[in-house]
Amino acid sequence: MEERRDAFRRHAQALIAAGLLAGAVGAAQACELPAGTRLESKRLELSYRTIPPRIKVGEHFALEFAACPKPGAALPERIKLDAWMPEHKHGMNYRPDLKPLGAGSYRSDGWLFHMPGRWEFVFDLGGERLTHSVRIE
Amino acid sequence: MKRIALAALLALAAASAAAQLLDFTDAETRAILRHGPWPAPWTPDPSNRASGIREAVDLGERLFFEPRLSPSGKVLCATCHAPFRGWQDSRARAFGLVEVDRNTPSLLNVRYNRWFGWDGAGDSLWAQSIRPILDAREMGGSQAQTAALVRADPEFSCRYAKVFGAPPPVSDEALLAGIAKALAAFQETLVAGRAAFDEFRDALEKGNRAAAARYPLAAQRGLRIFVGRGNCSTCHFGPAFSNGEFHDTGVPFFIAGGGVDPGRHGGIRKLTANPFNLLGRYNDDPTGGSATKTLHVSLEHRNFGEFKVPGLRNVARTAPYMHNGGLATLADVVRHYSEISPDRLHSDGEILLKPLRLSAEESADLVAFLESLTEIASALEPRRPSEPCR
Repeated sequence: MEERRDAFRRHAQALIAAGLLAGAVGAAQACELPAGTRLESKRLELSYRTIPPRIKVGEHFALEFAACPKPGAALPERIKLDAWMPEHKHGMNYRPDLKPLGAGSYRSDGWLFHMPGRWEFVFDLGGERLTHSVRIE
Repeated sequence: MKRIALAALLALAAASAAAQLLDFTDAETRAILRHGPWPAPWTPDPSNRASGIREAVDLGERLFFEPRLSPSGKVLCATCHAPFRGWQDSRARAFGLVEVDRNTPSLLNVRYNRWFGWDGAGDSLWAQSIRPILDAREMGGSQAQTAALVRADPEFSCRYAKVFGAPPPVSDEALLAGIAKALAAFQETLVAGRAAFDEFRDALEKGNRAAAARYPLAAQRGLRIFVGRGNCSTCHFGPAFSNGEFHDTGVPFFIAGGGVDPGRHGGIRKLTANPFNLLGRYNDDPTGGSATKTLHVSLEHRNFGEFKVPGLRNVARTAPYMHNGGLATLADVVRHYSEISPDRLHSDGEILLKPLRLSAEESADLVAFLESLTEIASALEPRRPSEPCR
């Protein structure tokens, strides 16, 4: 199963890269962010939402997001998603996947926050790090 | 008359002393309420088509108490999971055919787990139920022997057909999966009854201060430590008092013969190699949703020496404690966390764990709280005589 999972991750990463390149082409035309939590860096804007909207301790959830490059910038080829508890200095016990949904949007499954407290989402887009903290009761 | 008045005054004073309620903050109250209500909601396991089926519970109960599941005829599930010992064995380390390396966990509330076993090598209760049957140190059985028993025994084979709608299959592996699903259906019925803590928690939720004040003061003080500076409720989370995950809590993981118990790291490796895991053919869940955890679980170096956070309901009845049974009493467990050495924890481990440096009174309070998680009355149905299967 580990091999299957690794293969799945490699496949997902390839899809992500391909999807982001396709997104970059589309971005030259128009890039609109859907409703959600907005994050911004020098080169990018990002919107994400979790499914379900309320994250509960110990329950799996999914995440959907879209990213748009700012004028003159392009979407990076590689993207990594993660979350951790800064005060505890550890992350999740699960590794979410990432699938392109088209038009620069993505879905990620397999998230689970196993402790109450402050968690920080980390969107690493080609080395550009966008973070957002949530408190889970 | 004076005597009566004095007696009344003394009674009033005693009642006042006995019925006090600490002034819990809003944050403390929120943390306390997270440990209920009890019993917690539960839905049948979608990976097990026998889950929640009465006939499967009956078959599973018979199998649970069946010594012939072990070729020796001497070891049954109930050998280690004894009903009269809180569904565990009161030993430091389990003893089936020989002694093993870990403590027997209680089966009470097992249905609320995400992972099964101290190392979480099982991703379903039914998959976990296979492990001791086949383990040479525990029951010492085999697929072929277990399958042959159920096929040859008219009562078992008749009940199997009633549960699964077809006679026991030709495949030993498939039959073992079915047997395990019936065993799981029975174990899912093992739920702890309500405890003094639950009465307190529900009274607090309703704002009934008078009822809440009946909860012993020592337990209230211990609870305050539990949800407060002790940080216990961060891992011992929710109605069953476990977040269902794994942590290194500084308990030694050296085992007899000079070996090391790899804990969760070994558990994930066993999980991935197990043909009965939820990514395999025996998962009955057509949506695949129940396998999300198995698909996404991440093997990390820090998993070495991590063991599952046990639930705490009825904990006063399940001594000794920790994955190796190394601590004899609840007071010992509290002392462990009070004096824990950060040097014994992984460098990338749970930094939340720091020595609590509890006073003797605080330690006693924490023990009083843990004891208040003991069920007031069993919630289990009495065993019923059942008619022979036709």
